[in-house]
Amino acid sequence: MTQKQREKFGSLAFYLGNTLVAFIFVSPLIWMVSSSLKPESGIFKGLNSLSTFIPKGASLNNYLEVFQRIDMWKFIGNSLFYVLVIIILDLFVNSICGYALAKFEFKGKDALLTLVISLMVFPAEAIMLPMYREMADLGWINTWASLIVPFVAKCFSIYMFRQFFMDVPNDLLEAASIDGCGPVKTFFSVVFPISGTVYATIFILDFVAHWNDFMWPLLVVTGEEKRTVQLAIQTFFGSKPINYGPIMASLTISAIPMLIMFLFLQKYYVEGIASTGIKG
Amino acid sequence: MKKKVAVTLLIAMFAAGAGMGCGQVKERVNAEGESVITVWSPSDEPAIEEWWEEKTAEFNEAHKGSIHLQREAIVRADSYAYEDKVNAAITSNDLPDILYVDGPNVSVYAANGITLPLDDFFPQEEWDDFLGSSKDQNTYDGKMYAVSATESSVALYYNKDMLTEAGIRIPGSKEEAWTWSEYYEAAEKLTKEGVVGTNIIMDKGEGLPYVLEQFWISNGTDFVSGDGSKADGYINSPEGVEAAEFLNSLIQGGYANIDPIQKEFHNERAATMLGGSWEVATLEKDYPDLNWGVTYFPVADNGGILTSPTGDWAASVTKDVQDMDAVKEVMNFLFSKENVTTYAQAISKPPTRVSSYDVLTEYDEYPRSIFKEQLMETGHPRPRTPSYSVLSAGFSEAMLNIFTGVDAKTALDEAAAAMDKDYKKYYSEE
Amino acid sequence: MQKAINKKSERKAAYLFIIPAVALLAAFLIYPALQTIRYAFTDYNIMRPDRIKFSGINNFIELFQDKNFWIAVKNTLYFTVLVVPFQTALALALALLVSARRRGVSIFRAAYFSPQVTSMVVVAILWTVLYNSSPDSGLLNALLVKLGMEPCGFLNDPKTAMNSIVFMSAWQGAGYQMMIFLAGLQGIPKEQYEAASIDGAGKVKSFFYVTLPGLKNVIQYVIMITVIQAMKLFTQPYVMTKGGPQNSTRTLVYYVYEQGFQKRNFGYACAVAAVFFVIVISLSLGMKKIIKAD
Repeated sequence: MTQKQREKFGSLAFYLGNTLVAFIFVSPLIWMVSSSLKPESGIFKGLNSLSTFIPKGASLNNYLEVFQRIDMWKFIGNSLFYVLVIIILDLFVNSICGYALAKFEFKGKDALLTLVISLMVFPAEAIMLPMYREMADLGWINTWASLIVPFVAKCFSIYMFRQFFMDVPNDLLEAASIDGCGPVKTFFSVVFPISGTVYATIFILDFVAHWNDFMWPLLVVTGEEKRTVQLAIQTFFGSKPINYGPIMASLTISAIPMLIMFLFLQKYYVEGIASTGIKG
Repeated sequence: MKKKVAVTLLIAMFAAGAGMGCGQVKERVNAEGESVITVWSPSDEPAIEEWWEEKTAEFNEAHKGSIHLQREAIVRADSYAYEDKVNAAITSNDLPDILYVDGPNVSVYAANGITLPLDDFFPQEEWDDFLGSSKDQNTYDGKMYAVSATESSVALYYNKDMLTEAGIRIPGSKEEAWTWSEYYEAAEKLTKEGVVGTNIIMDKGEGLPYVLEQFWISNGTDFVSGDGSKADGYINSPEGVEAAEFLNSLIQGGYANIDPIQKEFHNERAATMLGGSWEVATLEKDYPDLNWGVTYFPVADNGGILTSPTGDWAASVTKDVQDMDAVKEVMNFLFSKENVTTYAQAISKPPTRVSSYDVLTEYDEYPRSIFKEQLMETGHPRPRTPSYSVLSAGFSEAMLNIFTGVDAKTALDEAAAAMDKDYKKYYSEE
Repeated sequence: MQKAINKKSERKAAYLFIIPAVALLAAFLIYPALQTIRYAFTDYNIMRPDRIKFSGINNFIELFQDKNFWIAVKNTLYFTVLVVPFQTALALALALLVSARRRGVSIFRAAYFSPQVTSMVVVAILWTVLYNSSPDSGLLNALLVKLGMEPCGFLNDPKTAMNSIVFMSAWQGAGYQMMIFLAGLQGIPKEQYEAASIDGAGKVKSFFYVTLPGLKNVIQYVIMITVIQAMKLFTQPYVMTKGGPQNSTRTLVYYVYEQGFQKRNFGYACAVAAVFFVIVISLSLGMKKIIKAD
């Protein structure tokens, strides 16, 4: 085999292999989209064969029903608003905390790191009710604050930022310090600009986590004013009989912003620390 | 040093938390000086949402300057989400004035003082117009704690073509309802490649006790004692074990699926099913080609009791009410003859008021007549006990364990013990 | 002198940097968590918040005699031990598959990540169907029968239910960890691969000598959060099995929810949560020690 042939073979294997594996991963998504286009009676037919992935008699009726029944745009807007506010605050608050844990020396650092790790483990199911009472005492029920403020500081994010900032070479920080940068300025003008990958990663992971939030918004929000997308989708699970057509359609609609966001933030994955050549 | 500070701070917060009582009570009056009455009910299909819009507007127009009715749709999701929301509101005295609750929960809320008795809300002749099955469900400790507008029932749906082909008798009256043996034989005969004889699992949550309790009742027992205080000796009585074993024989024989796919009957993958009254509308609308029929709920062999499930959501009045007279006014409006009828019509469920059937004549015609007949004559609501949640979860778990190989008596003993323990812990001393 | 000033300004900066996060964590995580622990010593029934009585260590005594609690502990550990290596390896493999700069690679990344964006409702419906115990309805069993094998009970057999959830969870969660690995892979300078290649190292060798050491911090992080997420397993049993059959998928967090919300035994649920808290903290602190010693 010549070099060229080998390259061709390599790229063929790359695309073939990836396509095969990718199908296994995307199949539920395909099924969701396909079901959203089917009439109700077709959704649960032929589930034991691959033909279930092909929408026979496709139509947009389920989508029409969704938009007729609920104000989908408004609920998407609500969700986008509160999720984005959480993420922006999260990226700021947790990255500086993670940076301090990675690069600064201060009293209580070890204790704080231990605390961050221990707090990751507390299951949301256990603290939900006390947290609700806290919101009620603060008078925050049915306000944006109850959806946003409790979720800004996040141990997962702090810890991940810390792990990544550990890898930022100290030479770089010392160089900045010699140039007369204080520690705060060094972070914002030297470290932050080269950390696109980790910010993008946490952005994506956060977005997915909060976009799918259901339980908490259900507890603290009543009425349509601040209803989120996931709550709105649950409307279709109202009384029996449950019709899955509009459910699949609304789930498909709600997945679109996530996919757009994902593909958009992708570009940070090819422009990481490596490309700046500061390491090694 | 820092550690000490941190510890002190934490202790201070702990103490502050302990001292912090419930939130302040909000005045329920709006800027116009009207008494605001809030209703929470599950968000529902478009026809019902429209009904609410129309009716609140009508009510508010008529009561301008005195009462303002406000209804909030709470998403119910497919399981316990609505209850979780109510539970959270209970912790901070945030309950609405009128709260819709699922049928078997009426006694749970009543026993805990969350909801109030409504006996004097309607005159006796009004109460007399409500179906007995519905009033039974909404009674706790001899008092009415809720009112429903609609009912539900479960009967045996069958695929006409398959039954005809197999030469199986279709009952013509409720006295001729299939016995368990006949049901079993039919299921056996109807099972073939790709088709099971019947479907007994509506869903793996509340659907199990809702439908299957009837097998206990028909066999001469029930889930709990009449006063709702004891499950041991009822759910796990010899008759109860027999009922569980009968149901299990359908699963083990391969005549019913332990995890039926969605719409199994509708897609001709099951020849019969124990299905809810609401399926009529779905079958008529989405499956016009299916040749189906409905017959009575099966009865135990040798003169079993004729019975069928009932129950639906009900409106109750909570302890956080401020203006009782206004609430009374609202309840009288929501459950008037006319409004029960229009509500039932919008949601296409059987109404709870006997007089509504004079208007909704479709219930005199087959197949809906079957459900009306069952409701009026054989309906039994789910057990009325403050420990219902524990009972229901325990029963579902027991059945699924039995279906996967656990001995029926052992599994039901466990369910009985769990319910009795809960009752003893929270309710027996009162 | 210069150094001393640096130290001081560094300390000041450090406190400035940690205060917002610490304040928020104290108010919205530590405070409710402490409340949870406080309720663990009461007979709090969710329906009667005005009748909470202090019950000492009754809940804990009950808990240690509660068969279902111990089964939940066992199930949780079983799941964790199985899913962590499986999912981490799968995620790393996927990340390596799509780390190259090639045309269309972002489509594949999106594909592997997509189980994360697909609603759990859809995932649960579809996998319940895939796992259906009847070959007439389940795709996997239809396949097994075609291959001449016995159909498997999957979610309906207490012996296989948890394994089925392990497999499905790894499939669903791998995309999440893959993103973190991808970010980590970007941090390994190309020069190191080039140097290894000049030294005659093949693909396998450079994986062990360049990639793995370069991902050390990231792997630590991924394993740590995978363990924690695995310990918190809730959604899958909640939507797919309700903890059954025969207790085989009842996990600790599911038990907390079941007792606290569904059965309204909130005080007892808080006791379970408190014990859970202790188990997982000692586990993660142990892991931190191991990592440090390394």
